[in-house]
Amino acid sequence: MKPDPPKILLVVAGALFGQLLPEVRTPFGQQTVTLAGGVLGMIAQEYDRAAARLVEENEVLVALLGTARPVVTAADLRERIESATAHVPARDLHVSALQAANDGLRSVLIDVQAEVESLAGTAARAVNGLIWEELRESTRRRHLETGRG
Amino acid sequence: MTPLEAGLVRYLESHLQRASSVAITNLSRIPGGASRETWMFDASWEEHGKALTAPFVLRKDPPASLVESERAVEYAFYSAFERSSVPVPHMRWLEEDPSHLGSPFFIMDRINGSETNTRRILEPDLDPSRDFIARRMYEILAAISTFDWEGSAISRVMKPPPLEECWKHELDYWEGMIDANELSPQPIARAAIRWLRANPPPPPKRVSVVHGDYRVGNFLYNSEGIHGVLDWEMAHLGDPIEDLAWSFMELWEAGQPRRKGGIIDEDAAVRIFEGASGLKVDRDALHWWDVFSGVKAQGIWLTGARSLNDGRTGELILIYTSYALINLQDEILLRSLGKGA
Repeated sequence: MKPDPPKILLVVAGALFGQLLPEVRTPFGQQTVTLAGGVLGMIAQEYDRAAARLVEENEVLVALLGTARPVVTAADLRERIESATAHVPARDLHVSALQAANDGLRSVLIDVQAEVESLAGTAARAVNGLIWEELRESTRRRHLETGRG
Repeated sequence: MTPLEAGLVRYLESHLQRASSVAITNLSRIPGGASRETWMFDASWEEHGKALTAPFVLRKDPPASLVESERAVEYAFYSAFERSSVPVPHMRWLEEDPSHLGSPFFIMDRINGSETNTRRILEPDLDPSRDFIARRMYEILAAISTFDWEGSAISRVMKPPPLEECWKHELDYWEGMIDANELSPQPIARAAIRWLRANPPPPPKRVSVVHGDYRVGNFLYNSEGIHGVLDWEMAHLGDPIEDLAWSFMELWEAGQPRRKGGIIDEDAAVRIFEGASGLKVDRDALHWWDVFSGVKAQGIWLTGARSLNDGRTGELILIYTSYALINLQDEILLRSLGKGA
C-alpha cells in the first residue's frame, strides 16, 4: 500500500502540528493535539521495524537461552527454556504472534538471570554478562526518537 | 452551560454558606494532570448583597489514570501543610459522593500568577531567578522532610511504617503495581528489584512526610520564587531520601545533562537540603532510592499502559507515556544500575 503507512502517519502528524494546533485556543486542547502528533510520529517509527525487531530479538533470545541451559541447575527452569524456545513461530510474522513468543522468551530470561545471579562460577557469570548485554541491546532496538530534549 | 458547569453551580450553591446567584466562568481543563482531571474555573456569587468572586481548581477522579490513589489522602496532605512553611493552596471541599460531578473530587483555591511548566523555567528571562527557585525547591523539600506530621490531618489517614521497613514498604507496593499491570515481562525492572532487595538502604533517622512526586513540574513558580507545592497524590510517610532521589531522576533533566530538573547540580541540591533540614544524606541510600525511583516510575508508566490497553481510559497522555517512557525508563534504570552503554 502506497504511500507507505509511516509516511501517511507523518503527514497526519504534520497536519496536526501545522494546521490544527494554531487554531486550538485552550492549553489542554493544545496539549492534546501535541500528544496526538507525537504519538503518530512514534507509531510511524515502530510500524516499519516492529516485525524485524521481534524476529531479530527472538533469535537472539533463543540462542542466549540455549547457552544458558547447561548452566541452569533447576530442572523446571530447563524445561521452561525448552518450551519457550520451541514456541517461536517460524512462518507467522504477525506482530502479535512474534510478540507472544517474545513475551514467553523474556519471561524465562528473567528467571534464568535470577538463577545465574545466585550461582558461583565463571560459567554463570559469563551467562549473566551475556544477559546484561542483551538487555542493553533490547533498549536500543526499542528506542524511539521522541523529540524530548 | 455544560453538565460540569451546572454540577459545579449546584455544588457551590449548597456549600458556599449564605451564597446566592452562583455563576461559573472560565472553566477549562489544565494540561498535565495524568492522575486526576484538573480543571480551573472562576466562581462569582452574592453574599449579604455583596458581589464576590474567587478562582478555584477542581481535582476530579478520572475513570483510570497513571496513579490509582485515594483523593482523601491527597486532601489530607494538602490540608496538613496549610499555614506551614511549605506553600500549598487552601483546600475548600472534599467530596466523595460521585453523584455531584460524576466522580469524587476536591476543590481548592487557585494560586494565580505562577506556573508549573518544566520548559518555561529554562527560558532566558528566568536566568536571574533560576538559582533562587532551585534553592527554594530544596529548602521547601527540607521543610516537608522535617514536618511534624503527628497530630496533623496526615496521621488520621495514614499509619507510619517502621523505620527499618520504609524501603520495603515502598518496594513491595511498586513491585505489586508492576505485577498487576505489566503487559509484557520487564526483565530490567525485575533485575533492579532483585538488586534493591539484596542491597537495602540503612533506615532513616525519622519517618518523614514523603511528597512522592517532588520535582520541577509539580510546584508553582515565577521569578519571585515558589508559591505552591502541588500533586500530592502519591504522598506517604517514609524515608526523606526518597523524595530527594526522585527529584534527581535523569528523566526530569529536560535535556540539561546532570542538571537535576534542568536547574541545579546534585551536589548543590544535597548541600541546600542538608543545611536546611539538618538531615545527613547517605550517598549509598541516595543511590538505592535512585534505582527505586526508576522502578517506581516504571510502575507508573505500566499502570497507565494497562489502563489504556483495558479500555478504561482514552487519555492521549497515557499513549505517550506507554510508547515514549517505558523503554526510556529501562535505559535510565540500566545506567542507575551501572549497566548502561
